[in-house]
Amino acid sequence: MNLMLNILLNVIIAFLLGSLLFGLQRKVMARIQKRPGPPIIQHLLHTLKFYIKESSFPKTAAMPFYIAIASILCVIWVSAVIVGPVAQGSLLLIFAIYALHKIVEHNAGSSSGSPYGKLSCVRAVFSAAAEVPLFAVLIIIFLKTRTMVISDIIAYQAQNGALLFTIPLAALMFFVLILSKAPYSPFAITKGKDIISGYETEHFGLLRGYLMISESIAWYMLLWIFLTVFLGPLSLLGYLVGMVVISVIVAFINATTPMLNPNHSIMVQVTMAFIGIVGSIILLML
Amino acid sequence: MKTLYISSYLMFIVSIAGIVYALVADPPAWIVYAISILFIPLSILSFGLLIMARSKKEEEDERAREPFIGY
Repeated sequence: MNLMLNILLNVIIAFLLGSLLFGLQRKVMARIQKRPGPPIIQHLLHTLKFYIKESSFPKTAAMPFYIAIASILCVIWVSAVIVGPVAQGSLLLIFAIYALHKIVEHNAGSSSGSPYGKLSCVRAVFSAAAEVPLFAVLIIIFLKTRTMVISDIIAYQAQNGALLFTIPLAALMFFVLILSKAPYSPFAITKGKDIISGYETEHFGLLRGYLMISESIAWYMLLWIFLTVFLGPLSLLGYLVGMVVISVIVAFINATTPMLNPNHSIMVQVTMAFIGIVGSIILLML
Repeated sequence: MKTLYISSYLMFIVSIAGIVYALVADPPAWIVYAISILFIPLSILSFGLLIMARSKKEEEDERAREPFIGY
């Protein structure tokens, strides 16, 4: 297949599936809380609605950085689609993309000029201190497979079985990372309702739609990485079922757990990272 | 607003031209990656800027006279 067509198709699939999975998540959360909930397609409709709405830019925003930072979020997750499903490149690039995502959260908050955005910006730095150690999961994967390249990790699992069963604590660490990126998550301190919508408070209309497109791609990509790195070679149906199952589990956790106070959120994540790293190293030595 | 409209048009044309070039000419992989990383987000943003709803002429003053002017 033509490379550009391959990339375009993957980006469109990532956006559509990511949006629908977010919609599914809200539906499951609503049903757990005994509400009918919005239709599954609602997140996608919201994205499109925001995308065509009249937009104005706050006087306090640092232009053109305020718009550029929303573009950077899209740039990094389109890059993730290329590194992941298209080229099956290095996990280190995914790590870099995730680190950039934290920087975008920080700068989107600070560039808007809103106090809520600025609080979220501080929280983004705070949470990065906990989420980056969780990404140390990559070291454990390297210690086990001796490679960082996604295609080699898939080949390793085809020979030796899924990594989920050999390094389960590393998988748990990555799951916590996925959980922290879900809306209404106990760890979603950068978008806490106590600070309105966090770094997105002053991003409305077109820019909100643009951010939501990138976030849908990000959600799809995080699930894709988890399934590929821990469950090995999967068919299209396997990916679809895996993504739905993880989204439902995340929805269940989000529906039953209140959003944590920032300090508690960081402490839980750091504790998970510590248990994950030390426990995995012990398991590897056994 | 007119500057924004014109620059969005230019950005959209350039990004779509880049994507079509990569689709038709099939250049080396690194060029396709560069085009995708730059032009896919740019095309989404510029298309959004072009199709977003705009205020009517008589509403413009109302939009500019926002009571809340900053923090």
